[in-house]
Amino acid sequence: MDPIVTCRGITKTYGSGELAVHALSNVDLEIMQGDFATLAGPSGSGKTTLLNMIGALDLPTTGEVIVDGQALSTLSKGQLSELRLRKIGFVFQSYNLIPVLSARENIEFVLELQDCPAKDRRSRAMEALSDVGLHGMEDRRPGAMSGGQQQRVAVARALVSRPAIVLADEPTANLDSENALELVNLMYRLNQERGTTFLMGTHDARVMEHSKRHIELLDGKIDRDTRS
Amino acid sequence: MNDTLKTFTPLAWRNLWRNSRRTAITLIVVSVGLWSILFFNSFLNAWIQSGKETALGLLTGSGQIHAQGYMDDPSVEKLMAPPNPALTAALNAQGVKDWTTRLALPGVVQSEYKTLPVNIVGVDPDAERRISTIPGRVSEGRYLTGPEDDGIVLGLHLAERLKTGLGRRVIMMSQNTDGTLAEQSFDVVGLFDADQGTEDFYAFTGRRAAQLFVGLNDEIAQIVITLPENGDLEATFQTFRDAAPELDTRTWKQLNLLLASTDTYMGMFIFIWLGVVFALMAIGIINTQLMAVFERTQEFGLLRALGMKPRLVLLMVTIESALLIGAGVLLGAVLGVLTIWSLSGGIDLSSFARAMDMLQSGEIIYLKYHADGIVLFSLLIWVLGIVVALWPARRASQCSPVEAMTRKT
Repeated sequence: MDPIVTCRGITKTYGSGELAVHALSNVDLEIMQGDFATLAGPSGSGKTTLLNMIGALDLPTTGEVIVDGQALSTLSKGQLSELRLRKIGFVFQSYNLIPVLSARENIEFVLELQDCPAKDRRSRAMEALSDVGLHGMEDRRPGAMSGGQQQRVAVARALVSRPAIVLADEPTANLDSENALELVNLMYRLNQERGTTFLMGTHDARVMEHSKRHIELLDGKIDRDTRS
Repeated sequence: MNDTLKTFTPLAWRNLWRNSRRTAITLIVVSVGLWSILFFNSFLNAWIQSGKETALGLLTGSGQIHAQGYMDDPSVEKLMAPPNPALTAALNAQGVKDWTTRLALPGVVQSEYKTLPVNIVGVDPDAERRISTIPGRVSEGRYLTGPEDDGIVLGLHLAERLKTGLGRRVIMMSQNTDGTLAEQSFDVVGLFDADQGTEDFYAFTGRRAAQLFVGLNDEIAQIVITLPENGDLEATFQTFRDAAPELDTRTWKQLNLLLASTDTYMGMFIFIWLGVVFALMAIGIINTQLMAVFERTQEFGLLRALGMKPRLVLLMVTIESALLIGAGVLLGAVLGVLTIWSLSGGIDLSSFARAMDMLQSGEIIYLKYHADGIVLFSLLIWVLGIVVALWPARRASQCSPVEAMTRKT
């Protein structure tokens, strides 16, 4: 099976000289199609930095990140945007929905950016909302939804473009235990049913319990990489 | 592109109302700015027009033709014959509203109490009624009845200074064609009310009567021409110059330099005002749009993270600015039109009559719509507003997704 993501010897250093902070040191990693992987480690271990590198939000100081066969260092800013738009789905800790758009419009917005024909946008958005159990809530704005519901919309938005990988950074951190569990189950179900690849940075034991692959980071290096 | 606009325009409109107070402030800044420009433009145009109508309507007309040298030495030796056929044809052409001839000579007027300098103007009363506002300004007595009428019409202030009045006789003196002093008594048949300068320095009698007074045949001092409101001043007067190149043909802009300067500087003033107002508006627009962008830094980071290209972020924020400034422009234009409409019956400045005299303006200023001005200034403000708002929009589009999403705002 081909890897969806390949990291080869990536390092990320912030600052220089004596003040230099090495967020990542020589990380080698492959995420395979269908992985439901968690990225764990103490604060400052480099989880978010690594997710940002894989998500083409930031570039490594050295090394190479390849996403779905494309080496990120060879891409322009515009091409990186295009790659994020079409290949990567994001779920953030604080939901990050556009507050003036309804649940459906938040999802349609990504499809619009992808130049998806208008007639397909609504049906795909409705389908995505249905997949995350939010049928009937499509016209609600984020402000009128609970944290768990907002995060489900974020998952639907991440999945609607059928990305190669979904990156989730502490997706359950702002949710109560019931909503957190529901979200984990949802993502797990989507992984099982559709083979969507997930890589989640998390501290949450419930997320790690479901994961088929557990990657532990320590001081910017991969300390453990185990499959269950 | 259409699809993009369809998506971004409602989004931009909703974004505007996320902070309704800031949006209201920007709307007020833009609308009041445009309103002030439209109002002042209309007011200054009306003022200029009133000044022109008042000053030019008295005696100057749209322009005049004299013999060469008359303007420097307006004496009996610098007169001219009535217009030749070529000039008459030009004067009767379509672009000319009306014209008449006058004899105007320097002289003195003497009453039992005082002798004062005056310009003795011989007119054709019928033509004068179509050209000049003086006949309509006769407040006591009557105006002249024909070129042969040897009564005299004096200004109210001049009569007061001379301590004379209707039915009294005054002695007019001027230089005769043979160089001697011409002297004749005239009955005061009317008194006119105008600005003090005109009242003090002009006395009117029939043209033929004036010619006989100084021993002339049919010589005249000036041809006065009026053009329709939108007449082509320079082109029309050029036809007179072509028809009678030996004569001194001048437009009102050459005859009344103060009024011409006022006309020019008022035109410049509106653009200076536009510049000042726009600078204030630009500061307001940039300030509020920067605040809007700054408050939504995380959101722009999210949009960039989701794969929205910088140019689309720029477009989205620019659409917001265009809508916001457009709404302000619309509001300002409506306010401006309503203000102009409500004042179109005239702004009475008669309590500043002396000042208005000095400024060569009428006492009532009638505001008028200038549709082209409203459209021009509205578009100008809208486009310039969008241009200055590009800077905040560019800042939003250039944000780094990681930095923007982690910023606490």
